[in-house]
Amino acid sequence: MGVSNVKQWSRIVKEALDRAFFTAKFLCLLHVSNTYLCTVALAHGPSMLPTLNLSGDLILADRLSVRFGKVGPGDIVLVRSPQNPRKIITKRVVGMGGDRVTFSVDPKDSRRCETVVVPEGHVWIAGDNIYASTDSRNFGAVPYGLLQGKVFWRIWPPQGFGLLRHVNE
Amino acid sequence: MKCRRFGGKGEEDMGALSKLSQWRTLAREAAERTAILAKFLCILHVTNTYICTPTLVYGPSMLPTFNLTGDVLLVENLTVRMGKVRPGDVVLVRSPENPRKTVSKRILGMEGDRVTFMIDPKNSNRCQSVVIPKGHVWIQGDNIYASHDSRNFGPVPYGLIQGKVFFRVWPLNGFGSLRQ
Repeated sequence: MGVSNVKQWSRIVKEALDRAFFTAKFLCLLHVSNTYLCTVALAHGPSMLPTLNLSGDLILADRLSVRFGKVGPGDIVLVRSPQNPRKIITKRVVGMGGDRVTFSVDPKDSRRCETVVVPEGHVWIAGDNIYASTDSRNFGAVPYGLLQGKVFWRIWPPQGFGLLRHVNE
Repeated sequence: MKCRRFGGKGEEDMGALSKLSQWRTLAREAAERTAILAKFLCILHVTNTYICTPTLVYGPSMLPTFNLTGDVLLVENLTVRMGKVRPGDVVLVRSPENPRKTVSKRILGMEGDRVTFMIDPKNSNRCQSVVIPKGHVWIQGDNIYASHDSRNFGPVPYGLIQGKVFFRVWPLNGFGSLRQ
């Protein structure tokens, strides 16, 4: 009686361990592909209207473009905020290092413009909705090392499913 | 009565079948090797991200803490991700001037701190004082005469910190954890 109980238990334990290892390997693979290949992000807020919705869009961002330096003006990128390192924001790249960028300082109040040269190793990011966006006009050019991924596809809401267009300057 | 087919179509079939099974064995072996490699890289990545990773640092900017010709250090990034980095820690930072370069420096101030530093210690004694903005840190090399750091490019965003150095592995006479 006792021996058969032990045998049953050992079989159950072995099966549980097998399943646990399989799950661990799968999660590992998911984590690695999330870090090096492609990641899913939920973007919400008014700063990228009308491109991205106010209430939240699920977007896919690839990590290889950033790693290999294939990000350019017109791309939507995920950036770690220079003001709050725990926050990741979605903005569009307007200029790379060495470019000259012209922007209106406060579009609601005046039409005063300013021109800035983006330092080497930095990018200038701006939200599509310039009236409600905290971006490089507020905190200056951000170092390229803060870029987390380049957004290329929207998966939710379904009527917006598809490629997010690159905007030519 | 036995029939034997030799030559002609029979042997061609056998040849094609054996080649197919050879291919299949090769493919299966390749898939197994790839799976082992993928699992190994997975484990390497998880170790590097959640436990620690070794790195080689060289250059004059952190003398006398680190040697000129190169030290192998162990770096962990759990402290960075939890936001528990403090002034006095030696960290690896992605350079704000060249994103492909990672430098090792010491943190001298966190956000909100006021930092006083000598602009050009070789030539003059003039000092300057700066308040570090929100979300940024002030990094400086221990060897202020030969270091390109926040005195040149200003405070760097916290998000550029890649890891905190906690142990030296090589050279052996420096083996051990790093003192403040």
